[in-house]
Amino acid sequence: MTTLPRLRLCLAGALALGTALPAAAQDNEIVWARYGDIDTLDPHRATSTLSLQVWSLIYDTLMATDESGAPVPNLATSYEVSEDGTEYTFTLAEGVTCHDGTPLDAQDVKYTVDRAFDDAEPSVTQSSWGPVTSAEVIDPLTVKLTLGSPFVALIPFLADSFSSIICDSNAEAEGFGSSVAIGSGPWKLESWTRGDRISLAAFDDYVNHGKLSANPGRPYMDRLTIVTVPEAQARLAGLRTGEIHVAEPPLDDVSALQSGDEIDIVVAENTGQNVFWEFANRAPFDDVRLRQAVAHATDVDTALMLIYGDLSIPEQCPISRGVFGNDQEFCAQHRPQYDPERARELLAEAGYGPSNPLETNLLVWTGGKRDRLAEVFQAQLAEVGINAQIEMMDIGTMNARVRQENEREDGKASMDMMTWSWYDPDILYALWHTPGAYRGFTSPELDAMLEKTRVTSGDARDAAVRDVMAYLLENAIHVPLYTPGWEWVFAIRSEVEGFKVAPFVYPIFSDVRIGD
Amino acid sequence: MMARYLIRRLLMGVTTIFVTTIAVTLLIHLVPGDPVQIMYAQSQGTTPEQLEAIRDRLGLNDPLPLQYLSFLGRLLEGDLGQTIRGQQPVLELLLERLPNTLALAGAAMVLAVAIGLPIGFLAAYRRGSWVDSTLMIAAIAGVSVPHFWLGLVLMFVFAVNLGWLPVAGTGPANLILPAITLGLSNAAIVARMTRSSMIDVMSQDFVRTAHAKGLPKAMILNAHVMRAGLVPIVTMMGLQFTYMMGGAIVVENIFAWNGIGRLAIDAIFQRDYPLIQGFILVFATTVVIVSLLIDLAYALLDPRIRRSA
Repeated sequence: MTTLPRLRLCLAGALALGTALPAAAQDNEIVWARYGDIDTLDPHRATSTLSLQVWSLIYDTLMATDESGAPVPNLATSYEVSEDGTEYTFTLAEGVTCHDGTPLDAQDVKYTVDRAFDDAEPSVTQSSWGPVTSAEVIDPLTVKLTLGSPFVALIPFLADSFSSIICDSNAEAEGFGSSVAIGSGPWKLESWTRGDRISLAAFDDYVNHGKLSANPGRPYMDRLTIVTVPEAQARLAGLRTGEIHVAEPPLDDVSALQSGDEIDIVVAENTGQNVFWEFANRAPFDDVRLRQAVAHATDVDTALMLIYGDLSIPEQCPISRGVFGNDQEFCAQHRPQYDPERARELLAEAGYGPSNPLETNLLVWTGGKRDRLAEVFQAQLAEVGINAQIEMMDIGTMNARVRQENEREDGKASMDMMTWSWYDPDILYALWHTPGAYRGFTSPELDAMLEKTRVTSGDARDAAVRDVMAYLLENAIHVPLYTPGWEWVFAIRSEVEGFKVAPFVYPIFSDVRIGD
Repeated sequence: MMARYLIRRLLMGVTTIFVTTIAVTLLIHLVPGDPVQIMYAQSQGTTPEQLEAIRDRLGLNDPLPLQYLSFLGRLLEGDLGQTIRGQQPVLELLLERLPNTLALAGAAMVLAVAIGLPIGFLAAYRRGSWVDSTLMIAAIAGVSVPHFWLGLVLMFVFAVNLGWLPVAGTGPANLILPAITLGLSNAAIVARMTRSSMIDVMSQDFVRTAHAKGLPKAMILNAHVMRAGLVPIVTMMGLQFTYMMGGAIVVENIFAWNGIGRLAIDAIFQRDYPLIQGFILVFATTVVIVSLLIDLAYALLDPRIRRSA
């Protein structure tokens, strides 16, 4: 038995390797479990919702959103736009401090913008800033952004965490993005153990200038720990034992949890999430009748009721509730509604029928019970004579695949249940303006309509967005199905008070207290 | 003699890793999906020109041999590049998490041996009896239980209902449940292996000779049977260890153990090429090192190997 002592040594070593952790949450600490980790602490280097949610806690933004999703002043107490729409002058709030104690002023805003437009390493979301050409410090509390051409989506962008203001002291800090993140948000970074946990502490000097929390200052809790727990059943188990306070539950367990009194369910509203049909831009779906037939064949209400109950709702517009321009009534008039008879007629006109069904692939993103939803849709499509073959895949693969399908000349018909979330109708420009994010459907007239949405504001922009939506809906290019659709359900232990989710799925922890 | 044996093994190990670097470069290009497009999937405003520039910067537009050479060059400097998502240093990320997976696989191995070896030995000793059949049926059951199911059952019993252990995370107390999950099924494999190996040895001539010499039974088992029977078991344990590092992927996911397997799964789903490359290399290197150690243990246990080499 000579091997045993050696292996015992091995175990002792192994146990020493793990860091000591509290098994249960400490006093005045709140633990939030998510299925995945952030990609980076640097707001210019990632785009995932998981990353954005954490940035929104550490950093602050010039604008914030109100409950409806509209932009409101935050770090910028006011702003002025020049007549021609190319100069934005922001007045900053006084007395804002960064986590390292330095004041947050116009220089920090300039640093952030310059960094986003750095030639060598631009922000991955650089283009979302619009045609910004320079950031200029007028005085410590006034900063001016100059644009090459008008771009009205700038203001809503400045409310989103993609535009997080990065304190310029990060420039000298070693390890910005991996171990350092100096912001001015309600929580400051203590440590990030990649893949495992992000430890945040309440920032004593935080003043809330416009974020959607009732608390005017420092969060009530001392610590916020964000842990990665990929398995939904494990998150639920952690909620039950008290190791975890807030987490996305397994969707199948939601109704059981709602009837119990141990755990509450919070459903995010105004998420901006849009789940929709889109079609490969080649035969046979280049025939508008077939796209409309799919729209007419889809009974969204019934499908949602079967799979999600009341957790998700049908969406009529290509941009979801919470986003500028959304109008259910207007969109419903233009979107082909559920009408299987009409679907059959259109199919017959296009030369398809019971003896000659339309064969198509149906690409669907894995997770969130979308597989089962897709099966319901599949059955509905089969009713009118469309044979859809479901292919489940990861969203990354799906994005690549949809573009491939658009770039192919021929092959089996392809449609997909696409998912997008954005805070402004400018998303439609990205998706459907030439060349299009997926190289899908484009047309000169649609391009012209989309360009108008970038340079108009107020009612004129509203009208421009409506034109675009009507076009997309009538031509069944972007057929909206429902909202929200992913990572939108939160289970919280019942003693947790004051937890809420701001529009675009930003959870807020400033108001959270743990009761008895 | 021993030195030549070791040098030969070492050269084989280095060759294996070298071949892996080639496979890693090729493999990545057989997989569909463009990493740059995935990286910018949620930033819809990015223009095609920008995407092209980023592809250039990452060297994804270079001819394959050139990509391989620059990869090899950076590898020799200990630089495995940055992840596509989040631009974190790949090697650092992998080395941060490798110890956790080694700890999990190691603890599971210890458990597997501590349970499997005595059971296998007992079964062999009582071959053909009801003890043997009972133990072996239990072992078959143990092998057949999926990690996913066992893990969740253990979690609900010991963490949720009894509250003795934490549900999920990375730390000493957190190691217990995943190690048991991974260890139990492997204990069953160790038990079955030990049993057949011991039975094999017990029927050999030298054991019969030892009996004939009138040696006490305990001494025969200890000095003769055990020593000879261990050699194949040690080999098998080496294989088991690397197999367990693979099995750790499922268990790491259930218990949120911050290991390298979970990192790999994420990397694959996100098509994070540099991270996948790094993972395969680090994993292959670990397997090579473990095999080397096993070969070494082998030589120490079995004088015939030392001499014949």
